[in-house]
Amino acid sequence: MKYERQLKLQAHLDHELPEAESREVAAWLAADAEASALAAELKNTRQALAGAGAPLKLPETREFYWSKISREIARLETKREPVAVAAESWFARARRFVVPAGAMAGLAIAALLALNQPVEEMLFETSVQTGAETRASTYHDYAHGATLVWLSFPSQSGAAGGDTSNH
Amino acid sequence: MTTENETSSLDDKSLVGAAQQGDMQAFEELVARHRDKVYARAFSMMRNEEEAIDLSQEAWVKGWQRLKQFQGESAFGTWMTRIVINLCLDALRKQRRHPAESIEEMDEETGGVERQMPPVVTNPTERLEQGELRQRIDAALEKLSPEHRTVLVLHEFEDMEYKEIAKTVGCSIGTVMSRLFYARRKMAALLADLKTENEL
Repeated sequence: MKYERQLKLQAHLDHELPEAESREVAAWLAADAEASALAAELKNTRQALAGAGAPLKLPETREFYWSKISREIARLETKREPVAVAAESWFARARRFVVPAGAMAGLAIAALLALNQPVEEMLFETSVQTGAETRASTYHDYAHGATLVWLSFPSQSGAAGGDTSNH
Repeated sequence: MTTENETSSLDDKSLVGAAQQGDMQAFEELVARHRDKVYARAFSMMRNEEEAIDLSQEAWVKGWQRLKQFQGESAFGTWMTRIVINLCLDALRKQRRHPAESIEEMDEETGGVERQMPPVVTNPTERLEQGELRQRIDAALEKLSPEHRTVLVLHEFEDMEYKEIAKTVGCSIGTVMSRLFYARRKMAALLADLKTENEL
């Protein structure tokens, strides 16, 4: 028996064929012993399987089985909920903008003032004779908050030297 | 919200309605009523108890998430079974490591011994006790490939038509017919204690 005919026989038994084709197969079955035997085998197998599909008992208690399901549902629903964000006050919102803007403005003003000030007004010098051959000279830069102290003393080689301290 | 005593007396339709409104107790009652069926379907496809339990629980979680989509077009148990079948098919696809054909698939394409095998004349339901028959069927189902077993389970246990099986599994109707025929003939041989060429 050709394979295509075997499949057609199966389709007939499964009520998958159009009526005309089904009648044709039924007539062939009645006349062909081999086809008839195959049809009987397929029907017997189906009958045997009919009893095997009955539900098995789930090997877990109702409570235990449900507990895992309910936990997973709760986990997924918690994950899905958006985190609630407290509404900001207008002051808090404004402060987030104003503080950095104010700092930037202060820096800009300081930079402008520094650029506009004459150099000679930035420095203030004092000088003190501390010894016969030593002298301390102090330079104050008020604009930048810096002080330079220059100590003059003869070096061992005779050349003048100094030290600086920045306060 | 329903109490446990109330839920046990309600029919499925009422329980589904309550669960769709968020009644978890109603849904728990539905799980209790249909868990064996859903588990059994998963087991028949996966042939592994642990996997079947995991997949059946996953199906229930999905069922809860999709509950509002259920409009009563089928029985609730049938709807849940379809969900677990699809999960099992996804799991089987992931398990399938080798895209190359198995011996059974080659048999199917080129003409397996089962096609040429003469028809089995003995009727297993007459020869065997129900318990022994059930054991034989379980053992025989184990010997089928996942592809053949799936088609057999969907047709014989879920009463799905060829077209529906093809759509669910993602293959042609011709492939469904070939696999079903192969699976049935192999089952017949195994139930009749006949050895296939591969076992000799």
